[in-house]
Amino acid sequence: MASSVARGAAKAVKPIFSRDVDEAKRRVRELYRAWYREVPNTVAMFQLDISVRQGRDKVREMFNKNKHITDPRVIDMLVIKGKMELQETINIWKQKTHVMRYFHETETPRPTDFLSKFYIGHDP
Amino acid sequence: MGEYLNIVRRAAGQITGHGGVRGLLLQLFRVNDLKTGALIGVDKYGNKYYEDNRYFFGRHRWVVYTTEMNGKRTMWDVDGSMVPAEWHRWLHCMTDDPPTTHPPEPKKFLAKVHQINVSGSSECYVPYSTTPKKIHEWVPPKVGQQ
Amino acid sequence: MLRFPAVGRALAGAAHSKGCLTSSSNVRTSVRASSNMVEVFVDGKPVMVEPGTTVLQACEKVGVQIPRFCYHERLSVAGNCRMCLVEIERAPKPVAACAMPVMKGWNILTNSEKTRKAREGVMEFLLANHPLDCPICDQGGECDLQDQSMMFGSDRSRFTEGKRAVEDKNMGPLIKTIMTRCIQCTRCVRFASEIAGVEDLGTTGRGNSMQIGTYVEKMFMSEMSGNVIDVCPVGALTSKPYAFTSRPWETRKTESIDVLDAVGSNIVVSTRGGEVMRILPRLNEEVNEEWISDKTRFAYDGLKRQRLTQPMVKDSSGQLVQTTWEDALTRVAAMLQGVQKSEVAAIAGGMVDAEALVALKDLLNKLDSEALCTEEVFPTAGAGTDLRSNYLMNSRIAGIEECDLLLLIGTNPRYEAPLFNARVRKSWLHNELQVALVGHEVDLSYTYNHLGDSTQVLQEIAAGKHQFCQVLAQSKRPVVVVGSSCLQRADGAAILSAVSTIAQNARVSSGVEEGWKVLNVLHRVASQVAALDLGYKPGVEAIRKNPPKVLFLLGADAGCITRVDLPKDSFIIYQGHHGDVGAPMADVILPGAAYTEKNATYVNTEGRAQQTRVAVTAPGMAREDWKILRAVSELAGVALPYDTLEEVRDRLAEVAPNLVRYDDVEEANYFKQANELSKAVNQSLLADPLVPPQLSVKDFYMTDPISRASQTMAKCVKAVTEGAAAVEEPDIC
Repeated sequence: MASSVARGAAKAVKPIFSRDVDEAKRRVRELYRAWYREVPNTVAMFQLDISVRQGRDKVREMFNKNKHITDPRVIDMLVIKGKMELQETINIWKQKTHVMRYFHETETPRPTDFLSKFYIGHDP
Repeated sequence: MGEYLNIVRRAAGQITGHGGVRGLLLQLFRVNDLKTGALIGVDKYGNKYYEDNRYFFGRHRWVVYTTEMNGKRTMWDVDGSMVPAEWHRWLHCMTDDPPTTHPPEPKKFLAKVHQINVSGSSECYVPYSTTPKKIHEWVPPKVGQQ
Repeated sequence: MLRFPAVGRALAGAAHSKGCLTSSSNVRTSVRASSNMVEVFVDGKPVMVEPGTTVLQACEKVGVQIPRFCYHERLSVAGNCRMCLVEIERAPKPVAACAMPVMKGWNILTNSEKTRKAREGVMEFLLANHPLDCPICDQGGECDLQDQSMMFGSDRSRFTEGKRAVEDKNMGPLIKTIMTRCIQCTRCVRFASEIAGVEDLGTTGRGNSMQIGTYVEKMFMSEMSGNVIDVCPVGALTSKPYAFTSRPWETRKTESIDVLDAVGSNIVVSTRGGEVMRILPRLNEEVNEEWISDKTRFAYDGLKRQRLTQPMVKDSSGQLVQTTWEDALTRVAAMLQGVQKSEVAAIAGGMVDAEALVALKDLLNKLDSEALCTEEVFPTAGAGTDLRSNYLMNSRIAGIEECDLLLLIGTNPRYEAPLFNARVRKSWLHNELQVALVGHEVDLSYTYNHLGDSTQVLQEIAAGKHQFCQVLAQSKRPVVVVGSSCLQRADGAAILSAVSTIAQNARVSSGVEEGWKVLNVLHRVASQVAALDLGYKPGVEAIRKNPPKVLFLLGADAGCITRVDLPKDSFIIYQGHHGDVGAPMADVILPGAAYTEKNATYVNTEGRAQQTRVAVTAPGMAREDWKILRAVSELAGVALPYDTLEEVRDRLAEVAPNLVRYDDVEEANYFKQANELSKAVNQSLLADPLVPPQLSVKDFYMTDPISRASQTMAKCVKAVTEGAAAVEEPDIC
């Protein structure tokens, strides 16, 4: 019942690509598959110091981060962004560092308690 | 025939001319070469200078570095700057007269003790800022002064 | 109000007499009936103005700016630059707008062909003798002549003759003169004689050979001399310490508060690349108008010298060595944890902000200690500091303009609070204020009735036996100002009691309305009022009687307590921003931030809370003061309940709500009760004369850690003692 109402609401607004959630999910799966196939290439082309397994885990993690989203318009938008990322990766418009940014290796977490903030600098 | 014999004799001389197996290996690892030649001279640090004009020009003069120079162990850590100024001229073919036969004119700018390049060591040159300091910090008074 | 000024009158600048100036006063006291307003037209737009308004003021009222050089709102009208010429409809000639009072029905044409022609002509004459050295001129970018020649000048020159050149004057280590650039507007001459009250500057010669100077080769000796730099419309008078250092468009301006005296002048801090380049005044009619004292303006180079940038601890040989915050704080926390409650005490210095004061107080209270003192002494007998009216300048600085009799006791406001003294002088000049002084006879830049310097006089006035009492009785709005320095004597309580009685009697005899405050205290340091508001004990007597094992000096650099006063094994912690008096005797040094480096609250002598802003970050590892205290508290196991500045200010509001009501003065009014309580204290006065610590101008320049570290201030002291020629300057330009 609730889903049919939601579907009605979703229909009222103009869809981006997908008419319903199932179609959106299909697009997500297609994107995931494309990424999954591209990972070994990326690791080789960019000479990344990670294994293919790690890269695929990261892809899965990035997809799972948005798994709570149900609005097909939002999903479509994220798929478009994912495709753009993929294109940039395939065409090597990115540099090695841009790819490695997904892994947050060089980021140090910012302190949250007063004393560590005090030690680290003037106004963290 | 004699030519070939000479070649073989030279080859054998280059292998045996370093003082046994130990000397041979030492030469191989330190100099990366098994040349023998006429010892032209030894400087006061112990670097040995050789010449053999049968080699091609540029390979005909070489140095075998000393194992200890100015307090630094140079058995394996050798450096081109270990050659003192007077031998440098001869070694680089700026002159054909080695300092053994033609001692260099004494000049006051010539160092008494040759200094090895200090790059990478603790005495190396560090560039410093020449702009004036924005903040002059307080220097606490030394104990016992006042 | 404004009379027709003879142009030549201002040219005789230095020879102004008091009567001459009052006739052309520009003080804002007159109240007129709205019925007799005059209607004039500015470019056809009608505007109603009071009779006597000048053409320039009428134009200002409709938002039309008339170009001007010699006219200045706070100075008398000279009318000699002629830049403000405007055409009046049906008038034969253009008139000087700054000096001409409007007449009914005039139509002022501010942008007519004739007006523009007149301005262009004046500008051409001004530029005839002005060097075209804008690229190397320090005024470049903030020069009135530069801006106005762009706006109103001609785009080409007809000038082929040679230019006049004038020899530069040595006016001391603060003001650089390039007199060739001078356009003889005489603003500086009028400033010196009217606001600063020193007749040092004047004009010599006439016409083309007219020159501004000090007559003989001498220093321009005034505590407000720096303001002539702002007043000068061209680059003739510029700042010597700021010379060739930066351009106005390169600097970032931060609005802040000065803390070198208790007036709390509003300032703008110009910074470039993390460095304070200069300090300028900011307009605040209630406090400093648009002037600041020389110490405020020029002591900023003290912020770059003798700074504490690293935490330091004493090593085994007793030498202070640099260390990390972790190490220093751990040591402090260990000492604080290891002592009993009565064995820890704190002293707050003169430049500490309210946030640090409340953090220190909370920290020590959590450690069960109540021994929190300020360096400045204030009598605690009688009502003491319990009643806020006892230690404030209750009638406010601007209130001086409304009083008709001022009695100064044991103070030299000219050097203790130059801006307050400027207010007194302004009122003396324009409102016929009578001033009397009990205390050492000093030069206050205005005439006053000197009643003597002994405490005997005070008692006589209090008892009604002195002949000055008749004057006091006749006044309508009397004000009594007592200097904080004379309350620091052993008989301070008795002096305060006598002053309170005088004030109370004067108030009764004058019959002034209930809201009028008579008793005033003029403080000398910026932190005192905030500290007393927060409940600090004034004076270090308690610490001297009961020497603590751990002493926390929060910016305490007056040297009230030395190692000699404390037991051998006592542990001293110094927290502050300068290595001055307090730092060398400390066991641990915690580097704090100076007033340009923190968002902080300061309360001036009126009780006006104002905040400073961060202009530059604190140097090295220095941190904001309240943060250091917060960190210490956490390591000592008594964490203070605030992590951000907002939370500290919430805590401030809990303790004293007036401290966070910025730019607002909280009234205090318990004079009668305070006077009654003060009668209970020992009334015997000492025989010593009342001598304030700052007598002459050489005592003015170096009074606190920042100005003591300043080279400019040291040069000033040298110049006033040995003459301006004794200070050698780099010979550039």
